Formats: sequence, C-alpha cells, structure tokens
Amino acid sequence: MGRQKNESPPALKSPLETNSQEKARAANLSSVAEGRLKLYNPQADNVRKFLDLLERKINRSLALSFVACVHCGLCAESCHYALARPDDPTMTPAYKADQIRRIFKRHKDWTGRIIPWWVQARYPRDDEGLNFLKNIVFGTCSACRRCTLNCPMGVDTAALVRYTRGLLTELGVVPEGIFNVNRDQWESGNQMAVTEKDYLETIAWARDELESETGIRGIEIPVDRTDCDFLYVINPREIKFDPRSLGDAARIFHCAGERWTLPKWGWDMTNFGLFSGDDRLGAYVAGNVYQAAARLRSRRIVISECGHGYRSTRWEGYNWAGRDQTVPTESVVITLIRYLRQGRIKVDPVKNPDPVTFHDSCNITRSGDLVEEPRWVLRRVCADFREMEPHGRENFCCTGGGGLLSTPEYRPLRLEAAKIKAKQLQATGAKLVCTMCHNCVDGLADVIKHYKLNLKVVQILELVSRALANGNVQS
Amino acid sequence: MSAFLRLLENEVQIVALLFLATVYLFRVLWILRFEPTRERTQPAGSEREGITYSLLNISMPWSMEAVRKKPGFYVQFVIFHSGVTAAIAATFIIPYRPELFQKRAVVLIFQIIIGAAFVVGLIRLRRRLKVPAVRLISTPDDYFSLLLMILYFAAAVLAVPNRFQAAEWPLILFFGLTAFFLIYVPFSKISHYLYYPFARYVLGKTMGHRGVFPIKKANEETAFGPPEK
Ligand code: SF4
Ligand code: SF4
Repeated sequence: MGRQKNESPPALKSPLETNSQEKARAANLSSVAEGRLKLYNPQADNVRKFLDLLERKINRSLALSFVACVHCGLCAESCHYALARPDDPTMTPAYKADQIRRIFKRHKDWTGRIIPWWVQARYPRDDEGLNFLKNIVFGTCSACRRCTLNCPMGVDTAALVRYTRGLLTELGVVPEGIFNVNRDQWESGNQMAVTEKDYLETIAWARDELESETGIRGIEIPVDRTDCDFLYVINPREIKFDPRSLGDAARIFHCAGERWTLPKWGWDMTNFGLFSGDDRLGAYVAGNVYQAAARLRSRRIVISECGHGYRSTRWEGYNWAGRDQTVPTESVVITLIRYLRQGRIKVDPVKNPDPVTFHDSCNITRSGDLVEEPRWVLRRVCADFREMEPHGRENFCCTGGGGLLSTPEYRPLRLEAAKIKAKQLQATGAKLVCTMCHNCVDGLADVIKHYKLNLKVVQILELVSRALANGNVQS
Repeated sequence: MSAFLRLLENEVQIVALLFLATVYLFRVLWILRFEPTRERTQPAGSEREGITYSLLNISMPWSMEAVRKKPGFYVQFVIFHSGVTAAIAATFIIPYRPELFQKRAVVLIFQIIIGAAFVVGLIRLRRRLKVPAVRLISTPDDYFSLLLMILYFAAAVLAVPNRFQAAEWPLILFFGLTAFFLIYVPFSKISHYLYYPFARYVLGKTMGHRGVFPIKKANEETAFGPPEK
C-alpha cells in the first residue's frame, strides 16, 4: 500500500531504546563512571536539565539562527527529505528547526515568554517530548547544510540540529546506534573499538599484501615513527573493513618517497562528537590526533579520505579542544596534488578508462574548503571524468551523513529521501562514482543497492593508485 | 489639517520611533550577551570576503539554488520590500516634505510600488495558507504581521496623495498604523531585518574563514587549477 498524503514517517515515532545504556551501566565502563558518557535517567527531571543545558551551551551564532527565521519555507526547496516527500510538511528544514526554536523562544525570547502561543513557543512536556525531538534531529536530518546555504536569512539549521543533538546526548536521549559509537570512541579512542593488537596486526597484514600484490620491495606502513613529514590519520573502517584504502595510500606515499607515519594512539580522525553534538567527545578524539602529532614531532597532519573526519580534524576539532592550530592539517587530496605538481608521482589516466563522476561530501564542501581540488586530481587520473548535477557546494548528501548510517530505525526514511541522490547518480551515465569520504562510500553503496543502479563506489586514493605509472619510486 | 492629525503625524511618530529605537537597542544588547564563538584554525579563505559575500547575498539571486529554482519568489521579495521602503519614506515625506507629493507623477510612482507590494502581500498570504509546508511553520505572529503589512500597504496607497482637505481618515489610518507598527515590530517577526545583518555576518565570517564563501562553481575553479594550500 502506498504512503498516504501528509502522513508523517514512522521514524518520528521511534521509542528511546536504552538496552546498550543499561549494559554500559552494568559494566561500569570507565567513561560512564567518570561522567563522560551520559546515560538516560528516567527518574530525573530531564526537561529541566535540558533547559539548563540549552542556557549553558547557547552561543551567539546559534541565537541568531534561532531568531532570524522568517518562516518563508524556501529551505524546503533544498532539503533532500523535503524534496523526496513533497506531501510531508514535517520534512521542511524550518519545521525541524522550529522544534527546538520554540523551546528557545519560550525560554529566552521576550515575546515567547510573555505570549508564547503568539509565536508557538512551548516547552517539551516530558521525556516523550524530548524523544520526539530526538527523532526529529537524529532521524530526519543528515546535517548536510544544504538548507543553510539556501536560506536568505543566513539561518544555520544544520547547526541548530547539531546543537539539539548535543543537548539530548547529555541526557542519554539518543538513538542506540549513536550511543554505541559514542561509547566505543570514549572507551577505545576509535569509533569501531579496534584494539591496539588488531590495529597493528591489520597494518602488518596490509603491508604484506601490498608487497606481494605490487611486487615493490621494502614498502612500509610505519607506526609511531618520529620527525616525519606527516602524521597520517585514518578512518577505523580502513582497519576493520577496507585495508585496501590504507594500502593504496601506502603505495602512493612510497612512490613519492614520503617520510610518513601512522600513530599507535590517536590514529582515528573520525569523530562522533560531530554527529552526536557532544563537543567534549569531539575535543577528546581530535585532541588525541593533535597530541599524537606533537608527540611524534610530525610536521603536518594528513587526513585520509573522510568527510566528517576532515571537518572534525581540520576545522571543528581545534575549536572544540580550545587549541590554536599550529600544525598544518590537510586532506590527503592536497598531499596528492603536491606530489603531482612536484612530479613525485606519475599517473596515466588511461588506466582508469571507465566514466567516473564525483560525489562531494557535505562536510568537505559545505563545511570545508575543498571543491576544485579533488576534481583537479580526478581529471589527471581518469580518462572520462564527468560532473553530476548539481555538484560542488550544491551537491546532495549521500544520505548517510550526520551519523544516519548508525541508526537502522531511520533507514527506511533515509532511503526514501535518497531517491534524489539516486536520480542524480543515474543521470551521469557514469560507471564509477568517486568520493573522498568513507562514510559516503557506505551511504552511496546503500543508495546504489536500494535503487538498483549500475554503479560502483571508488575513492580518490584507489583511482590514483591504479593510475600510477610503474617505476617511479622516489626513495 | 486637524490638530489630531498634526499630532499623529509628528509627535506621536517621534515618540513611537524613539520607543522602537530603544527596544532595538535592548535587542542588540540581548544578542551581544550571547558568547561569540572563537575560531582557532588557520584560514583557508578570507573572512572579510566571506562577510561581504554573505551580506550582499540578497542582491545576488543567482547565488542560491533555491532562489534560482523559484525566481518568482525573489521578484516578490523585491516588490514587497520596495513597498515597505516606499511606505516608510512616505511617513517622512508627508509631514516634512509634503511638496513632493504635490507632483502627480511622484504620487503615482509611490502608489504603483506600494500597490504592487499590496498584491504581493495577498499572494504571500495565500501561499502561507495554501502550501502545507509553509502553513505548518506559520505562527499567529506570522499571519498577523502579514495581514498588518497588507493593511498598511492599502492605507499607504490611499494616504500618499496627502489630500487631508478632502478627507483625513486615510492619513489617520496610515499614521495610526505606522505608530502601532513602530511599537509592535520589535516584538514580532518583522524585526527580522534587525537580525538579518548579524546573522549573515556571523555565517559569512565562518564560511569565509573556511573558504566556502564566496561560493564558486566547481568547474569555474578547476579551470585555474587548485589553490596552493
Ligand atoms: S530557515 Fe531560512 S529559508 Fe527556511 S523558513 Fe527560515 S528563513 Fe526561510
Ligand atoms: S541540513 Fe540537510 S538534511 Fe538537514 S534539514 Fe537542512 S537540507 Fe535537510
């Protein structure tokens, strides 16, 4: 049976699951005992706590985003959720933001405090109200910031969504999947709970594989080497599911004669603090990376291909950690450009003959600075590069952003919203869709599978590695 | 001109304006009480360029995809706000430069601009009531502010000929509404124009620092190669 007009998605009714929280409490995890990882307490006055946190954590740019909205509804034109569900007004970005805006107005704004109904200002009634807010901010928004760039007033709805997530995370009112990753990152320092032993063993295995595959003798994946040109930080997915990506990077660095290292600790550049809105977690994880660079006296930090990892480590992390940036921090794509410009690697685009399109990660393109750079590389390593429309800063989210890949309860809605992305991908006629983000790899793969598209997802390192002309080892 | 109308056009307006200015001052102080964020990263772009771009964004309808998709929305925006500007100008012209409205052409131009804004106001009201996404986010304040604007435009169209000898009521209605506006505006959504420069400044600063603003098309940038970073 088809969806009824104006019917709200079931995602908005997802209950608060606390099984993992109960287990964390029972296990007396150190992050829980030390008060870093917050658990839901049904006995507490959570609404009051929420309001206290709202008061404590607000800043000027958020306050302006709260007050500046004129309810014009133009943002509905830019959100993939709203575009995919045109009959569902609850998908309008302003509606999502209004769920927290009305609380702000009731609590802080003059008119909202004196005549609340006039501006529809209201407090959440109880924990159910907070749970509804959770479903809105975690389930109906991938924090892609497309609406932000399309708001004539300059309202940053994505920032309001993240802020609200942060308040709810402090109360343990979070989707279970998000809680689990927060827990793992607090407990193990990386979001996939990879142990040091697994980490080191996988690196050794990836190195051996690389050597036997390429036949290049003496190729290295160094760990904890001091005084290197750069510290390379990665996504745990590269250890757990996709060591090929690390192997591609190692091969390219080797060919370029690079002196680089991975750290033994502080290697995870992904950061669930960005998704859960928990600035303390954000500061802790990004701080681990910065400390590793300082400890190993690395001259720069190079971030492997990851959208939110790049945004967290290059941009937000320094602010969360209250630390002025002193070490150059760059995406590996910038490193590749340097190699190509300096002739340290030679590439042959004929080695990538299939038509390739590029998917811009929201966190890199709308919350970061890289748009033309990946294209510059792709035009040199692919024989047939074609843009998708729209692209660059106007690209649509892969739909897996904002931590949505960790929340199965919101998957049906996410995949429904993905029809916009699917159309965009299909129109390119490409065989490969390249992205510089591990999260987008999974997000796009899900879209491709669901909509049965004839496409394969690749990453820039993979294409560059494949395009490497033999015999150009510098070292 | 009756003493009441003279009072309404002059002293009442000045008192209402002073009230507006005072409340606005408190509003600005209220905004400034919120902690600003501090950027600790090295820039990839220029904050100044970002701020300029962000503030001028409204004059660049092509810069936002949503506006490109709905050009009519932008045309309405321009007409509506031109009407607001003309009506506000009329509140000063009538008491202080009445000779301007003795020229038929000037009156006609004002009536056309404000009249067009009146029509746009009605279109906007219809949209607010008809489009489910806009209806859902609309508050009583949104409706009341819009209705008030529509009424204000109508009153302004009737008032600009400034023929108080013939009938004073259009002027009384217009200046009465102006005074009410000046007092009501700071507490309503109409105060968005006060927040606008602040909101766009803050966004422009962050986005400029990160090199997101000014927005360029990716294919334009590629022609010159990637910047040194
Ligand atoms: S967020 Fe911006 S675009 Fe959306 S309704 Fe508010 S002012 Fe309009
Ligand atoms: S940030 Fe993206 S997903 Fe969220 S409301 Fe805005 S456009 Fe929609």
